[in-house]
Amino acid sequence: MDEFIRVENLTKIYERGEVLALDDISFTVKRGEFLVLLGLSGSGKSTLLRCINRLIEPTAGTITFDGEDVTKASSRQLRHLRRRMAMIFQQFNLVRRSSVLTNTISGRLGYMNPAASAIHKFTKQDIDDAIACLERVGIPEQAYKRADELSGGQQQRVGIARALMQKPDLLMADEPVSALDPATSHSIMQYLELMNQEDGVTVLTSLHFLSLARRYGTRILALKDGKIVFEGTPAEIDAAKFKEIYGEEAQEVEVR
Amino acid sequence: MKSARRHSPWVRLAELRPRIFAFLLDWASWGYIAYAIMYLLNKYWYVRHVNFYGRLTLPSWGWPLVILVTLELALLTHAFGQTIGLSLFGLRLLGPDLRRIPMRQRLHRYLGLHVKLLLQPIALFIDRPLGTLLHDGKQTGTMRLFAKVKDDMPLERPRNWWLTYRGLFTTALLGMTFWLGWKITAVNLGMLVERIGKSGHIWRDLFTPQFTYLTANVIDGRTFSIAHYMMETIFMAFFATITGAIVAFPLSFLGARNIMGFSAVGWLIYTVMRFVFNIFRSIESILMAVMFAVWVGFGNPFAGALALFLHTIAALGKLYSEQVESVDPGPLEAIAATGAKRWQVVAYGVIPQIIPSYLAFTLYRWDINIRMATVIALVGGGGIGTLLFYFKNEVGRLENAWNLVGSVIVAIVVVVWLLDYISARVREKIG
Repeated sequence: MDEFIRVENLTKIYERGEVLALDDISFTVKRGEFLVLLGLSGSGKSTLLRCINRLIEPTAGTITFDGEDVTKASSRQLRHLRRRMAMIFQQFNLVRRSSVLTNTISGRLGYMNPAASAIHKFTKQDIDDAIACLERVGIPEQAYKRADELSGGQQQRVGIARALMQKPDLLMADEPVSALDPATSHSIMQYLELMNQEDGVTVLTSLHFLSLARRYGTRILALKDGKIVFEGTPAEIDAAKFKEIYGEEAQEVEVR
Repeated sequence: MKSARRHSPWVRLAELRPRIFAFLLDWASWGYIAYAIMYLLNKYWYVRHVNFYGRLTLPSWGWPLVILVTLELALLTHAFGQTIGLSLFGLRLLGPDLRRIPMRQRLHRYLGLHVKLLLQPIALFIDRPLGTLLHDGKQTGTMRLFAKVKDDMPLERPRNWWLTYRGLFTTALLGMTFWLGWKITAVNLGMLVERIGKSGHIWRDLFTPQFTYLTANVIDGRTFSIAHYMMETIFMAFFATITGAIVAFPLSFLGARNIMGFSAVGWLIYTVMRFVFNIFRSIESILMAVMFAVWVGFGNPFAGALALFLHTIAALGKLYSEQVESVDPGPLEAIAATGAKRWQVVAYGVIPQIIPSYLAFTLYRWDINIRMATVIALVGGGGIGTLLFYFKNEVGRLENAWNLVGSVIVAIVVVVWLLDYISARVREKIG
């Protein structure tokens, strides 16, 4: 397996409040990996993910994505890189008043003819693809409903369909199941696993629960106060490591 | 070698902003009291007992004296109590243990201020804790932002408001404002009762409207009808609202911080847009109509429509851009992350979120424009008001002038109420 993403000396300081969110982080991700980011709220997981596609501008350090320097990319180059990195979110981040189909198709905006996309005119191909993506996540019958009519689990599936629409090389997921109940969580995680195994998409996801990380991750990266405190396979996390990541008072909670 | 973190004087000044504003506000409140004392002295003493036709003015040395005394009072109240300014900007004078400091130390603070206040600019260049001034210290306490320290503060039962300086001062200020307002607006209840008979017949006539001119009719060879002018009013308002909304729509994105605030140029456009909106909003459309009536002709509804149009752009522009600023940023982030261009993010992320409130605001604006269009004829803007003021000017020549005015007023009330009701129902459905 070859090297896919290289993060070197990544630092992020939020100007206001002068918070050090990421403190000189370096790691690499291999192609085809299912990498799980662990850590408490505020440990820097979300910031790290958003630095990779530069939704947040890093303060210092470099990020190389498939041989290209993300941090130095022009806005045009950045858009082209972002087309290859899909992202799904804790709060799903769908446009609530738009239809499920429009939300799904918006994954393809970076490729569309600008004039046609301005008046919401989609090609037959795009619509067929979107329906196919919705079929893959099991909700083709919801295509013409408004996004906010769907349940949380269904909304996250639309989020995944939007990501599928991009035909990405990398899928980043920021706490994809934190807003969902345990049963739905597993079905969402299984879609991520499917993308990872069938489409060969590299997955980078942050999770709260160690049990989910153990079940789905091929490798784990744990953050604490903006620093990497653990890097290794799920099996290597024992009770001592757990306490190091989550603090002395933490108890492991299982999601079944 | 790693040197200690130094802040520039500008950063230090910015950190002091709440303290500066709080002080200026308190100073101004004492200035207001000084003005009130002068005014009341004039009313109750000078005009009555010294010179009925004259006016009490300050001598040349009076101004520096007033400035000095109000400054001194502001400093005094700042050191000894929780003033209005300090409360509004969330500041508390607290000791190092985050408790109130005793009176003796407050006196020290007040006296020390006189020396140290003059040296204060130096504090901007000395390396000391951000947001502190020279007279802040362990003994004399420091102004702290309440929001930042409230979790660490020891529990102290707050005093009842009528025992605090702030409560008493505010009450006194409100009472004085009422007294002053009574005198300045020349409220005279006696006159209101005494001369009730003078307007009695007008009321009677207004409440017995004569709908002679409800549909077309002729006086002095000119066509008059309430229906005709009412249509003019409604369409004037409608046209101004629609065109105004169409112009305001694209401008609202230029006036939204979350769309423009990414570059220096964007920020400049944002500031200019907001400035223009605020300026045009503060000029009432009836004032603009004065100009347009001269431009396109007195009594021409086009003049009224233009005035309403301009005011609508500014008012809707501001409301719209606030809507753009309050959209959920999540979907925008998601769409940007797919590699979409900035304007695609706006088209797919922002616009679907703002459409309902845009419609509601536009309808609401139409309500306002209808109400405005009924009186804009006062300055020659056309519409139903033309008839209203025509009949009013016929008082003395026409026997039933007030009855005719009454009919126009009734028509206005009915139409405005009806359209208000409809738009409220429609807005409910959209919301």
